[in-house]
Amino acid sequence: MERKFKVTYNESNVQGSVAYVLVKEFDLTPNVLKANITGDGCGFMVLSVSGDEETINKGMARVEECGYNVEPMVNHIHKEEAKCWECGACVAVCPTKSITVDKDFHIIVDYNTCIACGSCVDACSVKALRLVI
Amino acid sequence: MSKTYEEINEKIRSKKAVVYTAEEIIDVVKKKGIEKAAEEVDVVTTGTFGAMCSSGAFLNFGHASPPIRMTDIRLNDVPVDGGLAAVDTFIGATSLTEDPKKGYGGAHVIEDLIAGKPVHLHAWGPGTDCYVRKDIDTHITLDDINEAYLYNPRNCYQNYGIATNTSGRTIYTYMGKLLPRMKNATYSSAGQLSPLLNDPHLETIGMGTHIFLAGGEGYVCWQGTQFKTNVEEVNGVPIGGARTLALIGDMKQMDPKFVHGLDITGYGISLAIGVGIPIPILNKDILQRCCITDEQIYAQLTDYSLNTGRKEMARYNYAQLRSGSIEYEGKKIRTSSLSSLSGARKVAGELKSWIENGEFELIKPVLQFPKKAKLKTLTEDWL
Ligand code: SF4
Ligand code: SF4
Repeated sequence: MERKFKVTYNESNVQGSVAYVLVKEFDLTPNVLKANITGDGCGFMVLSVSGDEETINKGMARVEECGYNVEPMVNHIHKEEAKCWECGACVAVCPTKSITVDKDFHIIVDYNTCIACGSCVDACSVKALRLVI
Repeated sequence: MSKTYEEINEKIRSKKAVVYTAEEIIDVVKKKGIEKAAEEVDVVTTGTFGAMCSSGAFLNFGHASPPIRMTDIRLNDVPVDGGLAAVDTFIGATSLTEDPKKGYGGAHVIEDLIAGKPVHLHAWGPGTDCYVRKDIDTHITLDDINEAYLYNPRNCYQNYGIATNTSGRTIYTYMGKLLPRMKNATYSSAGQLSPLLNDPHLETIGMGTHIFLAGGEGYVCWQGTQFKTNVEEVNGVPIGGARTLALIGDMKQMDPKFVHGLDITGYGISLAIGVGIPIPILNKDILQRCCITDEQIYAQLTDYSLNTGRKEMARYNYAQLRSGSIEYEGKKIRTSSLSSLSGARKVAGELKSWIENGEFELIKPVLQFPKKAKLKTLTEDWL
């Protein structure tokens, strides 16, 4: 399985390697989707982790022990259904094809494959899409 | 075999009219054949639901006591026209608040009014002997004011181009977000459901045509601006923007689900509304034209990274566009629509049920629009 986490760091642990811990100690496959460090050494990254569920839980618990703040990401791309007028403008700008059109031309967002890149957010003319990270 | 408007209206009044949407009619004609279908079917309903900047609304606020002749008017901080009579105004859909970052403009004022929300009215005037008041600060709702007409100088573009971007940076256009190096392409037409693709030479649509406008009743009130006829046709329909319509309707009848104020990133404000036009099946030729399919309707791909002189790079039909990707010189380009097809279907479906239920009659146009028209361009003064 694959799960996504927001890992927050600060100047005390920004130089450590979360990915190394996950690979070396747990044989997991981490993938950094987004990383952001501000001038004061604080920031966060969005991490996709693949492996079996139990190992992922153990691995991320270990990351927390190392002093990082770990938040599992669910529904990180949020579509406000009441606002969406199903124009479709967000569909082809999504690099992971997480936004699709069904046979009745309804717009469907797959939260599982979304990598939280944010490309769709400014393609939407009614601010129906919001990235929650 | 032919029918008259009056014969069709007679059937509508007795709730016996046979109505299909422009999508449904394709299979009906396939099954029954054109002759039999032309006898049986009375009306085909079309629909479109896309952005159109050339939109606006006329309002009359009613007089305060003492009265004011408003010359500088804001609605929710959006400047609206102060150049009409004392308490009349026109809201242009693309007008912006002073802070453009708010992403709020005239289209949103129209949307809020139709949704029944109170709107802040702040207006100033010179103060005259007959209109002594110099300012007023109050709230209005659609119910409080006298008239409120939606007016679109241009809507229902017959067809439109496909936009892509060959440059190395993302560009933000009225055709949406276009990723670098042709990663995507956008288009904006309801295709086989679109009103003017089902009556391509405006045989039945003209001034006075009774239409569905954003959930209320409206009328075609003139040819639309930028109306032209000199566009190449394939399968009997133009392959680009050609004819357009000017539309008018009572905002007090409108349904918020068919009205959306848009803030198109990097471009500006626009208004999307649902428009449905009924086509009377007066004879089999008119019905035949309503059978047009997405496969038969073509549009031209152009490069929006060019500031001027955008040439056709290739052409695709709407079935290809709707499939999610097109191919250009061996490269796959992902496609997405900018107008709501699910919305257009709802429009055509709702209009169909109005007619079936005897609630909506057809009106024969009182004036046909030009058979020949071309566009002028704007040139700078020769110095
Ligand atoms: S955030 Fe990126 S990956 Fe997720 S749905 Fe939007 S465009 Fe797709
Ligand atoms: S761009 Fe916005 S309004 Fe259009 S389909 Fe996507 S989420 Fe809905």
